[in-house]
Amino acid sequence: MTTAVARRPLSADEVTRFGAEIDALRERTLADIGDVDARYIRRIHAAVRYTEILGRGLLFFGLFPPAWLLGTLLLGVSKILENMELGHNVMHGQYDWMNDPRFDGKTYEWDIVGTSDNWRKTHNFKHHTYTNIKGMDDDVGYGLLRLFPEQRWRPFFLGQPLYAVIFALLFQWGVAIQDLRLGAYFAGRMSAAELREQFRPVGRKMRRQLLKDYVFFPLIAGPFFLPVLLGNLVANGLRNLWTFMIIFCGHFTANAEVFPKSVLENETRGQWYLRQLRGSSNLRGGRLFHILSGNLSHQIEHHLFPDIPARRYAAMSHEVRAICERYGIYYNTGSLWAQFGQVVWRIVRYALPSKPVSMEGRRLVVSE
Amino acid sequence: MPTAGPLKRMLSPLVNPQVFDFWASHLSPTLSWERPLAKVLARRVEARDTVTLELKPNRHVGGFAPGQHVSVTVSVDGVRLTRSYSPSWLGRGRMAVTVKKIPGGKVSGWLTEHCRVGDVLEIGPAFGDMTQPTLDRPWLLVAAGSGITPMMSLLRQAATQPPSLPPITLLYWARTRADLCFLRELDQLAGRLPSLTVHRILTRESALLPEEHGGRPDETLLRALVPDLGARQVYACGPAGFVAAVRALLAGQVAAFEAEAFSLPAASVLSGAPVQVTLGRSGRVLSVPAGAPLLAALEAAGERPAHGCRMGICNTCVCGKLAGTTEDLLGGGLSHEPVGAMKLCVSTALTDITLDL
Ligand SMILES: Cc1cc2nc3c(=O)[nH]c(=O)nc-3n(C[C@H](O)[C@H](O)[C@H](O)COP(=O)(O)OP(=O)(O)OC[C@H]3O[C@@H](n4cnc5c(N)ncnc54)[C@H](O)[C@@H]3O)c2cc1C
Ligand code: FES
Repeated sequence: MTTAVARRPLSADEVTRFGAEIDALRERTLADIGDVDARYIRRIHAAVRYTEILGRGLLFFGLFPPAWLLGTLLLGVSKILENMELGHNVMHGQYDWMNDPRFDGKTYEWDIVGTSDNWRKTHNFKHHTYTNIKGMDDDVGYGLLRLFPEQRWRPFFLGQPLYAVIFALLFQWGVAIQDLRLGAYFAGRMSAAELREQFRPVGRKMRRQLLKDYVFFPLIAGPFFLPVLLGNLVANGLRNLWTFMIIFCGHFTANAEVFPKSVLENETRGQWYLRQLRGSSNLRGGRLFHILSGNLSHQIEHHLFPDIPARRYAAMSHEVRAICERYGIYYNTGSLWAQFGQVVWRIVRYALPSKPVSMEGRRLVVSE
Repeated sequence: MPTAGPLKRMLSPLVNPQVFDFWASHLSPTLSWERPLAKVLARRVEARDTVTLELKPNRHVGGFAPGQHVSVTVSVDGVRLTRSYSPSWLGRGRMAVTVKKIPGGKVSGWLTEHCRVGDVLEIGPAFGDMTQPTLDRPWLLVAAGSGITPMMSLLRQAATQPPSLPPITLLYWARTRADLCFLRELDQLAGRLPSLTVHRILTRESALLPEEHGGRPDETLLRALVPDLGARQVYACGPAGFVAAVRALLAGQVAAFEAEAFSLPAASVLSGAPVQVTLGRSGRVLSVPAGAPLLAALEAAGERPAHGCRMGICNTCVCGKLAGTTEDLLGGGLSHEPVGAMKLCVSTALTDITLDL
């Protein structure tokens, strides 16, 4: 299934020209960024606030099932919006040019148990710089799943369909502990004291989030403690499932590739762009779907232009696609169900042993 | 800045100021947990290209002494920009700023053309040393263009204490009559304050009225208008070129001299060879032209250092220099050593440098 796409290797010269075209698109878009983008993110911020208060308000009447259902959904939507279109994108610095402390990538703190500081390191730096490089991008299987035949099989992976379900349900917790390098701790390469030190800010954030959703809001609901608590739990769960789905569709579809560390040697800008493209996959959908996915449905554009306001990706995607067609580069896109189906297939397939695939000689360019 | 009451202190660990502000702004546009904001209550055209905005500050806006400046932050095309303006108190807790439109100027353009009654501005802390001079010696206030604003603030304050005032002379330069601000108010003040003399000097008006003067600042004119020049405490304010000219004429010749330039000197060495600026904290390395003000150069390279006045006055932009040679554009000389605090807006790199940013 992974080989369904014939990939024509590009010449070094083609990669350079391809990179220049992507750069030109970037410049054109940057020159146009301004008030509309500022207004947009302020509106998203307002939508987060309105849906949150409506959702939490309705949950106070949660003994009445329709109110509970609607309240939970609205709170879930609020959390999804805050997590994806607001938090994730702001933390990429997409709105830093506004010079507005509310949308400052370096200080924004999002509403999940993971700390923004860890995220800025594991995601903004590691994942976006070393996208899909095995051994450098922790997001390749999150140290828990085998998604590519290039990863060595171990009996542990037999259980991964189950781990994946648990991981999806608890996704924000996975994100929270990603940077703690528990693997290194269990392998004896990190002391308990070091781990404790690293855990401190994470623990503080976890406590804060838990108190907010499972103590503070249920308590102020008084007799309706339980419906509020349950509503908050389900809303957090909905967001976990949704973000898991969107994020896994971004890099683990059938035709997404992983790369060996050797691609980094003298990697040019054009090659970097090409790697981002070949490691990412898009989702088709309507405007609302794109917003709720934080425009990560345009994962390809997000990886090419992580610091450009995500609302621009939709328009940019037409041009990126046209550029790809010109160079015969495969542009990986599909519906959520088709792409997620492929992800599930990977999770199930690579739980089982498979013929080892060597990445030796996997190159992005053929030299002249 | 008002200190927080006990209730606020108790609540503050529970409150996310941004969330509070979001909801508070639905009640009143300037209601905020901690941000100093002011609402525009009225707008009037003061002179050609010049607008006065009457503002109602919220409780977080700090005080200021007449003659000082505050940083005003507005959003222009989605980008928040900060510039300095010299406000006046109007009584009943209201303040006013008078803004002259600079050709191509972002903030002055927005404030004079797009700002409307009801808009909200953010008002930063006050700074500046040109507060009321001592009352035991005569004053000389020298202003050009928008440099009149701090002088007006000082004169309005003086008008509340007439008996104790020493002789005050205001020399007010503008291009043409249509550029002069506050004419009516200056006439009224001169009527009420016997010790106040106002001279208007126009540089580009074809036919002068009897009470007007012409020409740029020079010794003859100054001596003619202010015979006791040597006894005066002098404040001068205006564009950099004007302030430099007045300083050259008066500094050392008068009892005291203070000046503030409202713009940076026309950069003489702006097109210097590229030097490397290393940002120690982020690890970024940028190439900037030697001789360019570092704040502007860093902004051009996509960085966003904190700043206020951009003129070396407010100290908002200071940052440590870890290595390299820099020059202070305001005549502070060269610095070869690491320094804990350097003003980015008026410093320029002469060699490769490393900043604690
Ligand atoms: C201490 C202090 C107090 C000030 N008080 C007032 C005040 O009360 N009222 C007022 O109108 N202005 C005042 N200014 C000037 C004001 O802060 C801005 O510099 C001015 O409004 C231009 O900003 P801008 O964003 O419109 O121009 P920018 O977009 O920053 O600049 C556009 C161009 O104009 C040049 N320029 C910038 N400022 C000036 C200037 N003052 N004169 C000539 N050219 C300039 C720039 O070098 C640039 O080339 C004060 C400045 C200082 C430092
Ligand atoms: S910005 Fe005010 S001192 Fe530099």
